[in-house]
Amino acid sequence: MSRLEAKKPSLCKSEPLTTERVRTTLSVLKRIVTSCYGPSGRLKQLHNGFGGYVCTTSQSSALLSHLLVTHPILKILTTSIQNHVSSFSDCGLFTAILCCNLIENVQRLGLTPTTVIRLNKHLLSLCISYLKSETCGCRIPVDFSSTHILLCLVRSILTSKPACMLTRKETEHVSALILRAFLLTIPENAEGHIILGKSLIVPLKGQRVIDSTVLPGILIEMSEVQLMRLLPIKKSTALKVALFCTTLSGDISDTGEGTVVVSYGVSLENAVLDQLLNLGRQLISDHVDLVLCQKVIHPSLKQFLNMHRIIAIDRIGVTLMEPLTKMTGTQPIGSLGSICPNSYGSVKDVCTAKFGSKHFFHLIPNEATICSLLLCNRNDTAWDELKLTCQTALHVLQLTLKEPWALLGGGCTETHLAAYIRHKTHNDPESILKDDECTQTELQLIAEAFCSALESVVGSLEHDGGDILTDMKYGHLWSVQADSPCVANWPDLLSQCGCGLYNSQEELNWSFLRSTRHPFVPQSCLPHEAVGSASNLILDCLTAKLSGLQVAIETANLILDLSYVIEDKN
Amino acid sequence: MLSSMAAAGSVKAALQVAEVLEAIVSCCVGPEGRQVLCTKPTGEVLLSRNGGRLLEALHLEHPIARMIVDCVSSHLKKTGDGAKTFIIFLCHLLRGLHAITDREKDPLMCENIQTQGRHWKNCSRWKFISQALLTFQTQILDGIMDQYLSRHFLSIFSSAKERTLCRSSLELLLEAYFCGRVGRNNHKFISQLMCDYFFKCMTCKSGIGVFELVDDHFVELNVGVTGLPVSDSRIIAGLVLQKDFSVYRPADGDMRMVIVTETIQPLFSTSGSEFILNSEAQFQTSQFWIMEKTKAIMKHLHSQNVKLLISSVKQPDLVIYYAGVNGISVVECLSSEEVSLIRRIIGLSPFVPPQAFSQCEIPNTALVKFCKPLILRSKRYVHLGLISTCAFIPHSIVLCGPVQGLIEQHEDALHGALKMLRQLFKDLDLNYMTQTNDQNGTSSLFIYKNSGESYQAPDPGNGSIQRPYQDTVVENKDALEKTQTYLKVHSNLVIPDVELETYIPYSTPTLTPTDTFQTVETLTCLSLERNRLTDYYEPLLKNNSTAYSTRGNRIEISYENLQVTNITRKGSMLPVSCKLPNMGTSQSYLSSSMPAGCVLPVGGNFEILLHYYLLNYAKKCHQSEETMVSMIIANALLGIPKVLYKSKTGKYSFPHTYIRAVHALQTNQPLVSSQTGLESVMGKYQLLTSVLQCLTKILTIDMVITVKRHPQKVHNQDSEDEL
Repeated sequence: MSRLEAKKPSLCKSEPLTTERVRTTLSVLKRIVTSCYGPSGRLKQLHNGFGGYVCTTSQSSALLSHLLVTHPILKILTTSIQNHVSSFSDCGLFTAILCCNLIENVQRLGLTPTTVIRLNKHLLSLCISYLKSETCGCRIPVDFSSTHILLCLVRSILTSKPACMLTRKETEHVSALILRAFLLTIPENAEGHIILGKSLIVPLKGQRVIDSTVLPGILIEMSEVQLMRLLPIKKSTALKVALFCTTLSGDISDTGEGTVVVSYGVSLENAVLDQLLNLGRQLISDHVDLVLCQKVIHPSLKQFLNMHRIIAIDRIGVTLMEPLTKMTGTQPIGSLGSICPNSYGSVKDVCTAKFGSKHFFHLIPNEATICSLLLCNRNDTAWDELKLTCQTALHVLQLTLKEPWALLGGGCTETHLAAYIRHKTHNDPESILKDDECTQTELQLIAEAFCSALESVVGSLEHDGGDILTDMKYGHLWSVQADSPCVANWPDLLSQCGCGLYNSQEELNWSFLRSTRHPFVPQSCLPHEAVGSASNLILDCLTAKLSGLQVAIETANLILDLSYVIEDKN
Repeated sequence: MLSSMAAAGSVKAALQVAEVLEAIVSCCVGPEGRQVLCTKPTGEVLLSRNGGRLLEALHLEHPIARMIVDCVSSHLKKTGDGAKTFIIFLCHLLRGLHAITDREKDPLMCENIQTQGRHWKNCSRWKFISQALLTFQTQILDGIMDQYLSRHFLSIFSSAKERTLCRSSLELLLEAYFCGRVGRNNHKFISQLMCDYFFKCMTCKSGIGVFELVDDHFVELNVGVTGLPVSDSRIIAGLVLQKDFSVYRPADGDMRMVIVTETIQPLFSTSGSEFILNSEAQFQTSQFWIMEKTKAIMKHLHSQNVKLLISSVKQPDLVIYYAGVNGISVVECLSSEEVSLIRRIIGLSPFVPPQAFSQCEIPNTALVKFCKPLILRSKRYVHLGLISTCAFIPHSIVLCGPVQGLIEQHEDALHGALKMLRQLFKDLDLNYMTQTNDQNGTSSLFIYKNSGESYQAPDPGNGSIQRPYQDTVVENKDALEKTQTYLKVHSNLVIPDVELETYIPYSTPTLTPTDTFQTVETLTCLSLERNRLTDYYEPLLKNNSTAYSTRGNRIEISYENLQVTNITRKGSMLPVSCKLPNMGTSQSYLSSSMPAGCVLPVGGNFEILLHYYLLNYAKKCHQSEETMVSMIIANALLGIPKVLYKSKTGKYSFPHTYIRAVHALQTNQPLVSSQTGLESVMGKYQLLTSVLQCLTKILTIDMVITVKRHPQKVHNQDSEDEL
């Protein structure tokens, strides 16, 4: 019975951004995300006061999904970042920090929202067109014929997640595994558009990271007893597979809306079992070697099949159905009656495997686009973090395959972009303003707020009290350790820029990031040889970063545009 | 157990409520308006600039406020626009009324109105005013719209005759609409999207039916994708269903589809029947029969080139399996709305599995251009290329945004724009019908019916009337001297504006042909022609029929060509009987028409124009209450441009704009608008009438009784039950 209740009136607040409460909550969120950012970011331990699961992380996806945000403005901010992360996996913290910084910086200016939003939009389109242009000085082409750049990309992602607790050697190992797993999902002879396979991540907790491995095909976990019972198959040719999506337990399926009256003495169970055994006979006569069932197989049928040297595995679960269909080339069977001969598939071979304490039944495919990544880590929380990181890396590789470019990481893209925007707004403001009613002063103010927001994202890479500098030629980022003597002999103190592309031996001018500089033209068009020679580059995914940039600015614009908040208190 | 509380329902109370609402609403009105964030009780957040949504989200307690919100909602449901303007206008009207009753505070009011005000105070003045308002709305407003305002109207159509839509005008119209509806960084993009969608979906023959279809099924026609920037939104040819294939088999060539609304697999028993199982063998054979039957149906579908099965229910595994075996893709569990949309597009009725088998062709199949999975942000959708049998060419909108709340706002705004356009084009279809009926001479009844419904029947058939009408003008001129009429010529118009008034005792047939030409920037001209001829058949009139026919010779000539509207005057038809001084003589009722697609430039043009003409009208008025109501409405109308120009300074501030406009009107010069953009006259007119109706509703209330139910009462009952 439904209950009617009078609705409580809503709470309506004007100019929400100016209130102290919103400001403090925003700055708290900013502190949380800023402190997590980068390879030296601090970890957050999230746990429920009532006990249960503890999560140690520095990733935005894990962080934001565990945080309980109540204020509607913050909710807008966090959901928009979560949505970004769920579609691009990467650059969540970057987006969050940029958005918070932008809101904070712009608020200080006190310009009207109309002007701010209009100019922010102009600056954003300036950034995007630059990052997509041929002359862009902070992106490099990804060469799929060598693993060098791809490995750099994966390694950058792994190192930026300190909660995975990997040593340098382990990082190298896992990066290589991820890349292998990704390459295994690409079909060998693809024409036209490629349909990528899938990498399944199989958990192995409590093992050394170095024990992680990649195997082509699918691993089905089983108990040792079950595995012992399976008879070894000796066959030189491929094995014939039947995959059932319907239950083989002997349940009587849907009988319709009317009633079914069963006379005394009639046993439907027997009737169904007869039917199942008939099915078994058909499978035998069709020379099937392996029967897989998503749901439950009736023990009698199982035994019957085993007697005829057919391996029967049930309770596969719905998640494995799609990869299994893809790998074996079967058509999931939904009938207990006659089976169409073309719905059978095949695998190359099967074997049993033991990893750590777990036993697996391993299906080896004829042609691999499905692979299993056995991922080990010492404890649960570190494993969870590593798994998320691996998924991110695999996704980033897929995105890079679609758009084969990478951005220079380690903060160099941001400082370079900021230098470009400063230069552009300073030297050519007319092209940006064009037909708008905004003045040049307004543009300068907003551009400064925008650039300093970008630069403070980079500033949050440094957590140990060091200083951040930028050079006046490339506009890259250079960090210097804390309490180093403040002398002008920069080339000795600085070794490499943030992304690792340039070293300090070149004749460069440096200045502190926070100090005021003259706008300069950052060198565009990367030299090819520079990219080839650099051994250990830090790279970011172009697609994810571009989207992150757009989402951050769009969300900031949205929040700055709010004039009222109406809270429904029901 | 009941306690009541009564409060005088006064203009003051209503004004207080309206002022609070105005404060909230005016922050998001117009191009400078800002966003409002609403939270739902479920914790979701919604961004909105839609006045209706905001008012509903407030969950107001005050009874008058609730009534106002109800009025706004019902107005919005019809027109999809104007909620914020509604509140602002209503508030200004109430302010005007309040000022009148405050005698001391109102030096502007002239002497006789003050005495009149005192008079009202004594005898239920509010009811009187509300009646005067109603009289104004039903009898005066239309006349002013028609006689004065119509000459300023522009048309959205590039040619009035063929009603071909001008893209640039539509762009201007939509841009102005979205300016007030979505965030300012997105309005250009969204209006472009809507414009593209409109032109992609409509064929040149598309009529009102397409609007209905898109309006009814707008939810099914768009897909929201979170996590992508707004600029990734796009239009996709074909229909996107928010489902994944249960089984997908790529196919090409001659593809057919069927729709089913029940499971294909025969079941043991249908509802209400009983199936008796006597032996195990019987069970097995019936199972076997079911299997074979399903297999045969699917094979049969396959043989008829059916490659796609769309089902509104979940199909058993067996059906899915045999579909896959036979190369048929299956989409299951579609909502009834989705199924009805598909059926409306392709005109297909559901497939019913045949009882007896034959190799004959299945009647209910339809050709499909393509059917394939569509991946949007790693979620899979079904993408169908339907071949439309109606005027609608199926296209889907993919709306992207960083958060769901923003996508919902855009969806809402697009839907509203569609409603607005539907209103604007409303009489497209009817026009066509009256045009053909015109020759048959049966149009008068039909048109009258329409004008009764919307009070505004657009005038069709300009083309057919044009030539004969010019002839009548010539004839009229000859006859002018004979009958006592006057002729007024407007120098700024291309064709003289002729106003003819013949005075005959007991009857007032008026013939007012008007032809207006105007050009504004890129807009093409609208030739707006007015032909009005009204007779009154009264029993009394019959005595004069001879005099009438002899005097009105020339009028009879034009009868065949001009559109004739007869209004039989009956007492019951008049909503309010007015105290006219010349009660004995008959009143003149005009039936007017406004063609579909009338627009005016944005920026308060409509309001300023109406204000100007209402003031002029008020000067001519003899009756004090009529003057007063007109004055109040005229002044309240200015409240809207005042809000719109709030942020503007200098040359573009409101006083400057207003003075410029009035000067232009006085010197018969065309109005120059500082803003580009158009708005629907139809929408404005409907808004005006809705507000006036709401106001009359408020004024007729004299007491608000709050009934409070004590919570104890429920408790008592409970405890009694327990005992």
